[in-house]
Amino acid sequence: MTDFRWPDGVRCVVFVSLNFDAESYDLKSTTEDRLFGRFSYGRYGVRAGLPRLLHMLQRRGIRATVFITASDAMRHVDAIREIRDAGHEIASRGADLAPLTTLGDSEFHALQRGRDTLAEIAGVHPAGFRAAAGEVGPRTLDHLAHLGFTYDSSFQDDDHPYVFSAGGSATIVEVPTVSSLDDSFPYSARHTHARVLKIWAEEFEALYRAGCLVPLTLHLRGDIGTSRAARIAALEELLAHIAGQPGVRFMNGSELAAHTVRSGRKPEANPYLAHSEVLSRTLYRGDLAIRPIGA
Amino acid sequence: MTTAGIERTRLPEELRCAVTLGVDFDGPSHEVGRGIAPLGTHSWGRYSARCGIPRHIEMLHRQGVPCTFFVPGYDAECHPDVVQAIDRAGFEVAAHGYLHEAWDLEAAEETELLQRTDRVLRELTGKPVLGWRSPSGRKTATTMRVLKSMGYVYDSSDKDYDLPYRLRFGSHPDDWIIELPNNTYSLDDFPFYKFSHTPPSEVLAQWKSEFDAIYDADRFLVLCVHPRSGWGSGTPVRTRILEQFIEYMKQHDGVRFFSAMEFARLCERGLPHLEEARIP
Repeated sequence: MTDFRWPDGVRCVVFVSLNFDAESYDLKSTTEDRLFGRFSYGRYGVRAGLPRLLHMLQRRGIRATVFITASDAMRHVDAIREIRDAGHEIASRGADLAPLTTLGDSEFHALQRGRDTLAEIAGVHPAGFRAAAGEVGPRTLDHLAHLGFTYDSSFQDDDHPYVFSAGGSATIVEVPTVSSLDDSFPYSARHTHARVLKIWAEEFEALYRAGCLVPLTLHLRGDIGTSRAARIAALEELLAHIAGQPGVRFMNGSELAAHTVRSGRKPEANPYLAHSEVLSRTLYRGDLAIRPIGA
Repeated sequence: MTTAGIERTRLPEELRCAVTLGVDFDGPSHEVGRGIAPLGTHSWGRYSARCGIPRHIEMLHRQGVPCTFFVPGYDAECHPDVVQAIDRAGFEVAAHGYLHEAWDLEAAEETELLQRTDRVLRELTGKPVLGWRSPSGRKTATTMRVLKSMGYVYDSSDKDYDLPYRLRFGSHPDDWIIELPNNTYSLDDFPFYKFSHTPPSEVLAQWKSEFDAIYDADRFLVLCVHPRSGWGSGTPVRTRILEQFIEYMKQHDGVRFFSAMEFARLCERGLPHLEEARIP
């Protein structure tokens, strides 16, 4: 509901992103020596899912943005380079999947490690960041700008990208997502892929009409992600339909951020600032928070 | 019709279904009240003011139907321009907690918060606030007493009936308020979008089926939606199915849309009979 404009001739932009979340995710529940059985769905994503997904994206001519933790990147160096060589954007998901809001003073160093590990493996500094579990702290945006990131993609509060002030004259673009276009929620609820794709087809049609960003968020995992052959086939059918609509353009995170900067949107204050005083005297009742299934 | 000797509420004969639409603003108050910063995944309440409310206003205006916006006081303080836009568009602004308190409150604190929210909303719209819906559905007889003392006409939080009634909460003759009961398991958006991840078209089918069962039967429908993203109806496809539901109801003879306040006023003085219930 803003005056945001897409490039000339573009009616709506589809942003395909992939949260790599391999062993990083399983290690939230277990230890390194137990990454077997029920804790091997992350490994499935890399061994079985990734080649299949890369083939499909190549067939469709889609360049995605892949958010990867330092810990997963170190375990899967070849896979990261393969993703890069296929033309996809390598972006950071932090050091591991520990929520940033639990890191205290070590948050900056964790973000730095996430950046540097990917830079070392992929040979390029990541421009984009997406927080584990979407947990962003009061200083995260400032840290990211300071570390040279050009955009974050962790919020869920707008139909289009926009810009945050991030300490002094620094800014950072926000490329918001929406949980209804995130595969992990319906797959956590054990829905069929037919049902998930039904939701997405309905979502796309309305977003397309309204000229909004279509932030499709995939996971690589074999349990709550899009890596099984049938799920990828179902997704490919939808992507083919989407690509066939007039005025649809696929953009990765960096391209979206660059367009947003060019569009001259006025930076907005870090939302924490308006609420910090009330938050400082408010009892934490996070256990009452309405959290999505699986989050 | 009587049940166990009680004469039920009777609506005017020509009214085959009364519909009240409610939008619970649920902006950042929902997270901030729980001590969570509205950042990252917790920013979805920010969607209400940025996108959801403007989209709902536009759609409701296009459909020409009234609607009541239940607004937490804190959200009104954060987004005064949005609350004024709701009012200017001709929709009712009613109260919905201060920080969307979804827990039990002591009477003194609760009274203060109810009064604070009332003051904020009244000053923004220049109109008296006449109704309240509990955030999360918690309330006591004390809550009703405070609302009544502030001149409120109705509450819309109880889940115990299909029809409006006069809720008596004390022994004084004036100890009553109009109750417009709602149901947050079926005529709401968040159970489907938050818990069951139901496709929007199936949510529409669910609501139509609710309407079909109510039309010409109990004849009173209260729908509650949220303008946030994530588990609300602020996004394009979900606002669209809300619009399609409104269009579906409009196709039926004898359906009339009311703001909660208008309908409560009708209950106060215009019904053939209004049932009274003493709680507890």
